Amino acid sequence: MSLVDLATTRKPWIVRHRLLLLGVLAAVLFPFVIAIVVDGAPISAVWENADGNAKFLQGLAIEVVVLALYAMSYDLVLGVSGLLSFGHAMFFAVGAYSLGILLKSAGLGLVPSLLIVMGIAVLVALLFAVVLPRVKGIGFALVTLGLASVTGIIISSSEFKDYTGADVGLQGVPSPDWLNPTDQRFRFYLVSMGVLVLVYLLYQRLVDSPTGKVLVAVRDNEDRALMLGYSTFWYKTFALIVASMTAALAGSLHTLYQPIVTPEVAGLGFTVAALLMILIGGVGTVSGAIVGAAVFRLTEFYLDRWFEGLSNLLIGAGYILLVLFLPYGIVGTWRTRSNRIGEGRSRLARLLSGSKGE
Amino acid sequence: MSDVLIRTEGLRKEFGALVAVDDVSVSIERGTLHSIIGPNGAGKTTFFNLVSGTIKPTAGRVYLDGDDVTNIPVHRTIHHGIGRSFQITNLFPSLTVLENVRLAAQATGSDGFRWWRSHARFTDYVSRAEEVLTQVGLVERAFDIASNLPHGDQRKLELAMILAPDPEVLMLDEPTAGMAAEQVPELIALIRDVQTSGDKTVVLVEHNMGVVMNTSDRITVMAQGAVLAEGTPDEISANEEVKVAYLGSLYEDLG
Repeated sequence: MSLVDLATTRKPWIVRHRLLLLGVLAAVLFPFVIAIVVDGAPISAVWENADGNAKFLQGLAIEVVVLALYAMSYDLVLGVSGLLSFGHAMFFAVGAYSLGILLKSAGLGLVPSLLIVMGIAVLVALLFAVVLPRVKGIGFALVTLGLASVTGIIISSSEFKDYTGADVGLQGVPSPDWLNPTDQRFRFYLVSMGVLVLVYLLYQRLVDSPTGKVLVAVRDNEDRALMLGYSTFWYKTFALIVASMTAALAGSLHTLYQPIVTPEVAGLGFTVAALLMILIGGVGTVSGAIVGAAVFRLTEFYLDRWFEGLSNLLIGAGYILLVLFLPYGIVGTWRTRSNRIGEGRSRLARLLSGSKGE
Repeated sequence: MSDVLIRTEGLRKEFGALVAVDDVSVSIERGTLHSIIGPNGAGKTTFFNLVSGTIKPTAGRVYLDGDDVTNIPVHRTIHHGIGRSFQITNLFPSLTVLENVRLAAQATGSDGFRWWRSHARFTDYVSRAEEVLTQVGLVERAFDIASNLPHGDQRKLELAMILAPDPEVLMLDEPTAGMAAEQVPELIALIRDVQTSGDKTVVLVEHNMGVVMNTSDRITVMAQGAVLAEGTPDEISANEEVKVAYLGSLYEDLG
């Protein structure tokens, strides 16, 4: 077998995506199972959107989808392309607020609004791209943080209260009847799952494409990529545009689903949330963003419910253990199969004893 | 008849008060192996950086095949047929050997932004990578991570990455740096083979005098940023000024 065959022969599509297909099946069955087993309701309760655990958990799943899309877009920027951006929340916030304002104040329909939001997302990405050749590494992080902070200030400012709701938040955004998050919860759930699957497949393809390979090369050694003949600026700009559009789509779903959108979505805390999600899932793995978002939202929700005031402490401890035992995240560790518990234990011992040796 | 491929004209580079390269005019003929030698700090690497577009000169021009390439951006250099290696190994350390070379082959194609197709569908780049890896003798290690290779093999990989886009000019900055002595002849033979079989022009910076004298067609000697002498290996080894430049500094060191 020649090297070309070894390097280019793939397992069939259905085999490579077996986990995704199982996940889709599970996601479709999930509300029905909850309705029957937990609520003891007939299966028609699902499409009739009757109140109960099934409806509530679908809502939680929609929140996970929003976060997964958002985290995936950050993974493209940070994990795949190696661009340290601290302003990623701006992509999400611009999407969330633009859609809300277009629907509410401009009175446009959902489809034209979404198209305009995508256009705005491209412009925001270009704003980041302008900075790219001028500052690298930590400088880029700080400038993007600044851009996001300005966005946060504009959103919270009372000057634009009529449009953004200022620091109270954006409320009363009309959602179309066919996609009402309460009356049509099951449909909203299916639509958001569908969006996630589509975006995921697109990202998988992108990362595996010649373009994605160059982005990884940029992360590994940008100067070398330049010397090889790649105009790395355009590749990074491309990654920022795709990520901005994805995050804006996540923000749009967020606005459609949540009764209120607050300025916090433009804050540093929300960028850090994306960072945590891809750390949990595995940096640079794409699918890790989905796993990370699920773990992030569910632990946050249930720890808060069960332990209330202690939950933040527990989450923090959880992250430390995660970094010690699964330094490549859940998906990253699964892929490298290097999850030796002993290694984590010795790292923990070193941390506690204060020795630095590796 | 001389057929000049690379010509520099009054090339000068200042770093603050330091003049690293001072009025260097060199002509390199097509299809030759041309070495640049000189004591440490002679400006050899700066000269290399200027010709390959990594840095821009303070004054002077660089011509490739008659075209002015002085101010082209660094990522266009390879599209003009200049491939360049580095004194310090410069790879994609966390990628496989194959992917390092495949990326180098892909760079000169026009498929970089085909983001909707898997890279595995572009088999031309993979087969080019296989060809080059076979040439340098690394095909067995194609799926190893580059940073896990021994140093000698990393130097070979570096060479493979320059060969992959099939450039007309190979600029090699100390390709044998840090290699074990017994590996040097093998790499030099490889470079010589690539040059003669592919009818390439090789510009070589090298410290190993044995290598330089035995393989070069022509030699340019640099000292303190300027050209001290130029000629065939025989002419250079007979040149009194060169002996002084090399040995003179040695005498001074000895006091």
